[in-house]
Amino acid sequence: MADFDAIVVGSGMSGGMSAKELTERGLKVLVLERGPEIIPERDYVDNLAPWESPNLDSVAQDEIAEHYPKQYGGVAYAIKESNKHFWVKDDEHPYEEAEGTSYDWLRGYHTGGRSIMWSRQVYRLSDLDFNANKTDGHGIDWPIRYEDIEPWYQKVETFIGIAGSAEGLPQLPDSVFQPAFELTDAEKALKAKVETTFPERNIIPARIAHLTDATDEQKELGRSNCQVRNRCHFGCSFKAYFSSLNATLPAAERTGNLTMVHNAIVSSLEYDAQTNRVTGVRIVDAESNEKRFYTAKVVFLNASTIASAMILLQSTSETYPNGLVNRSDQVGRNLMDHVSGAGAVGLMSGFDNQKVFGRRPSGGIYIPRYANLNGQDKPYLRGFGFQGGSSPLGNGGGQIAGIGRNFKEAHKNPGPWRVNIGAFGEQLPNSENRVTLHPSKRDRWGNPLALLNVTYSDNEHTMLQEASKDAVAMLEAAGCTNITANEVSLTKPGNRIHEMGSARMGRDPANSVLNQWCQAHDVPNLFITDGSFMASSACQNPSLTYMAFSARAAHYAADLIADGTL
Amino acid sequence: MRTRREVLQGLIVSIGGATALTACGGVANVLSTQSGSAPRFYTDAEMALVSRVSDLIIPRTETPGALDVNVPGYMDGLMTDWASTETKNAHRQALLQIKQSLDTQAGEDFLQVNDETAERALAVFDARAFAAAGDGNGYKRVKGYMSQSFFATEGGATEELKWVAVPGRWDPSVEI
Repeated sequence: MADFDAIVVGSGMSGGMSAKELTERGLKVLVLERGPEIIPERDYVDNLAPWESPNLDSVAQDEIAEHYPKQYGGVAYAIKESNKHFWVKDDEHPYEEAEGTSYDWLRGYHTGGRSIMWSRQVYRLSDLDFNANKTDGHGIDWPIRYEDIEPWYQKVETFIGIAGSAEGLPQLPDSVFQPAFELTDAEKALKAKVETTFPERNIIPARIAHLTDATDEQKELGRSNCQVRNRCHFGCSFKAYFSSLNATLPAAERTGNLTMVHNAIVSSLEYDAQTNRVTGVRIVDAESNEKRFYTAKVVFLNASTIASAMILLQSTSETYPNGLVNRSDQVGRNLMDHVSGAGAVGLMSGFDNQKVFGRRPSGGIYIPRYANLNGQDKPYLRGFGFQGGSSPLGNGGGQIAGIGRNFKEAHKNPGPWRVNIGAFGEQLPNSENRVTLHPSKRDRWGNPLALLNVTYSDNEHTMLQEASKDAVAMLEAAGCTNITANEVSLTKPGNRIHEMGSARMGRDPANSVLNQWCQAHDVPNLFITDGSFMASSACQNPSLTYMAFSARAAHYAADLIADGTL
Repeated sequence: MRTRREVLQGLIVSIGGATALTACGGVANVLSTQSGSAPRFYTDAEMALVSRVSDLIIPRTETPGALDVNVPGYMDGLMTDWASTETKNAHRQALLQIKQSLDTQAGEDFLQVNDETAERALAVFDARAFAAAGDGNGYKRVKGYMSQSFFATEGGATEELKWVAVPGRWDPSVEI
């Protein structure tokens, strides 16, 4: 008899949703989290005032060099002295990069994973995306279409809460929305001018997972509306932005069916060739080094794209000498992220007598993909969206001329309004972009280090060059002045923190790992619903899609358990 | 009841030839070098320069000034607890060059001249630094430390910037 009905490996964005849906179906679920417990009342630091954090809330420079060179190098904007406990120390959790490549693997190991530190932008994929691989031949065809996942988007969105506006765009289907954060007047002017000059382009409010009109269900979980503090990277005591710690894990816990174990680093899955089932999960305790084994009827891998692939590769057996469910040799391959590094900044005149009240979280505007919507009309495949906004430039930082009263008074003036937009582009699937187990190096718990080998193709380079030109053209059309566009410099792979694709879904077990239910082709009680399943990256922020697929897979697994198949 | 301003003014202490108020309360006080205490990073001469320059850049007006909220102490803490050796050396070098430039501009020891002469010298030096490309031999960065430190204190954040902990609503269009 198994210890649990289901084990969910990982408590982040997708693991939380898997746990919620499985427990709500009445299944006894064990969630294994490799990091320590985060208790909001103890560990959130969002209520600290600026003067309550030392040294401008900056991590000491020597400490960055010693412990956070990769993490800080990737997201300096998010790592502060007060919230550094949300980020891993690179020296404690190292990884390796193939010669000539560089990769940003940016992580948080604790309850809720990166759902605590994410940037909260949420967009649906469309059939433009689900058809993309089939259309241009890169990667393999998705075994699913938009109509298959649409009800699950609805279900997830209703639960998590999204501020946004219905726009009726076929390439970016509308979600279930709570009221959007209204655009500033400068953003409205930008929108009007850009949409007039470029009729195929749209500027819409960013869609963000923040409550602006909390439902009864959300209130029952202790969540309330966003207080517009922009302290999200420090946790949210109002639980206004979605995280698994703020929403899905509490929902799972209230069913009485959730068991959560922290500091449990999964080293492998145990496979029984006779039954062709995964029988359980082997872990090592991060603090005591004790090794334990938990059993369950089904296992959901939600450890994150790179980690889930590594767990499979570490799970070798006579049947699967190259890693569990790796008959196709696709485990660890096709590793994708989004790519940025092109955009523009300019000043908007005419708004000098205006300022804003409140600190709007997570961006202001989104420019959905407009490239190659109706056939191939650009010198690159697929496309990109722009994220950005317009707000008063302000005079913080002291980088303006003047001294004395005039200098102080200048800080009360919001200054000219600045517009900035930056591209998030799709990365093509490429089987040579992959994570493997380092042949010799191991971490302190004896598990192999990840060896990352990812490079961009010409398509990403060409796309970003074109995005840069487009960004300038839009700001020019809007009448901006002082337009600057830095030389295009692609972000490192991994830097957008949207890893995906390492156990792709497909129709053919010979070239894919998972079927349309995120279920392993070869082992029917194994599901993977973090970003690993993605057959292409699209250009939209992917967390919402991970959660929709997690919910769908969880119900499918629950059905199989209910009918005795599993 | 005394106003906050009166409370601040009542707390004036003297340091290094410049006037200073203890900061407005809060954790940063504890973590910064206290007004009147011996600096941990700066020499007395450096502390005097930082105090004088920050007071001229961010003087007390209707709202607290740099000395009222202990910007020199904040910066001393920043250099002691946050800065790497490289940053410390660069900061020290910048202060040295700033002092030399201001002495030249003032025609004598900048720290000994009267307010009018000091203001004039610093204004000219500041204008030149911001008119030119680059970091002004470190001056812009030093000014940045002063400004950021000021606005990170309770007095600078709440009284000068009208920082609100919990806005509670978003208004994208407020007429000034």
